[in-house]
Amino acid sequence: MAHQADARRALDERGYTGTLIHGDNPLKLFEKAVRDRIIDSYYWKEQCFGLNAATLLDRAVDLTFLGGTYGVAQKPTPFLCLAFKMLQLTPEREIVEFYLSQAGEEFKYLRALAAFYVRLAWEKDEEVYTTLEPLLNDSRKLKRRTREGWQLTYVDQFVDDLLGKSRVCATTLPKLNPRVFLEDEERLEPRVSGLGEELDELEDEDEEEKGEINGNGHVSSSEEGEDSEEVAEGG
Amino acid sequence: MAERKGAYGTSTSDTSFRRTWDREEYAAKAEERERKSREEGKARHEAALAGKKFHRRASTPEDSRDTEARQARLNVADQVGKTSLVPAGAGQGKRGKGAGFYCDACDLTYKDNLQFVEHLNSKQHLINTGESGEVRRATLEEVKDRFEWLKRKREDEKAREVVDLSARIEVAREQEEREREERRRKRNEKRRKTKDGLGVQDARVEDDGVIR
Ligand SMILES: [Zn+2]
Repeated sequence: MAHQADARRALDERGYTGTLIHGDNPLKLFEKAVRDRIIDSYYWKEQCFGLNAATLLDRAVDLTFLGGTYGVAQKPTPFLCLAFKMLQLTPEREIVEFYLSQAGEEFKYLRALAAFYVRLAWEKDEEVYTTLEPLLNDSRKLKRRTREGWQLTYVDQFVDDLLGKSRVCATTLPKLNPRVFLEDEERLEPRVSGLGEELDELEDEDEEEKGEINGNGHVSSSEEGEDSEEVAEGG
Repeated sequence: MAERKGAYGTSTSDTSFRRTWDREEYAAKAEERERKSREEGKARHEAALAGKKFHRRASTPEDSRDTEARQARLNVADQVGKTSLVPAGAGQGKRGKGAGFYCDACDLTYKDNLQFVEHLNSKQHLINTGESGEVRRATLEEVKDRFEWLKRKREDEKAREVVDLSARIEVAREQEEREREERRRKRNEKRRKTKDGLGVQDARVEDDGVIR
């Protein structure tokens, strides 16, 4: 089915006939204030008008950072605008999977965008886990625009946030049952790491080291310094 | 002032985009029409059940195109920093061609890019340019094709950047070589002019080897 280019109509209570997600208009997964800022933004009006799941790629490959809203005016990031567009389009499952896999391998911000969408819009908790968990092996760097400045993150870190936090990119994420709960209900197999035992061993070592560092009271402030430098470099 | 282009990078008066329909497309169109009328019937019925009045969408012309995304950023750079005198109350667009952002199809001028883009998205403009305001859904195949194209495009850009960079380095090297040669020549000239052949020590007039 085609959609109307004008999003105001999609937000019109009376007019909405599109796909329902979590029993409601998917655009409402974003809070009203955020929706209004997106629809009023120049990026939305100029760059998001008339996109479909194919032309959305043109914009997604140009993304250079992710984030929610920033600055005093709480301007929405292009990332957030495109996520909103995805909620309007509700692309077929295979398309989202293509964004995540083959296309996501090439364009990391596209992968992050699709992961954010899956977390917001997919209704089966077990599918959210099985779809997003493989991305925990992707350690590419991402820039995140925060309300006040910039932060360095990684694809795996971002996905971890999506699975663990309740608020990401100016958006309250829908409720997601904890993994163990789904395992107990036998809706999910226990997670097998992609790298197997080797990685487990590494993680164990990591944890030991972390324990030592924390024990000494030397929290990794120097690391943070490096991170912000890298962000600045990437400009 | 350069003639303003439409949102799609082409002049909006250009009608070459209008498709010439072949039989197949015509059949598809007919089917689409039928589907729409079925949908409308359903919507009308549902509205009646809910006790609401049914509002039909404005009818779209037969040959209307799907609305598509802009191919490129709107070119607003050449307007930045320019002051243009606009009559008061021109927010709705001023009839005719004037200073600012001109829409060819609607013969309206807007004073800033925001109002201009809002106009390009408006129903009025879409009707005037023969667009339906409806965006066709993309298939997985189209998504894949688009991805392959973007990937190629990015690879080409990267390759060009590399070529550009090495070309720039080469140009800079030649330039430096020429300047060094020129300095050497002047130095020798001066040395010949002084009797002892040692030249004037403080006669450096070049700019310390800065490449201009
Ligand atoms: Zn117009």
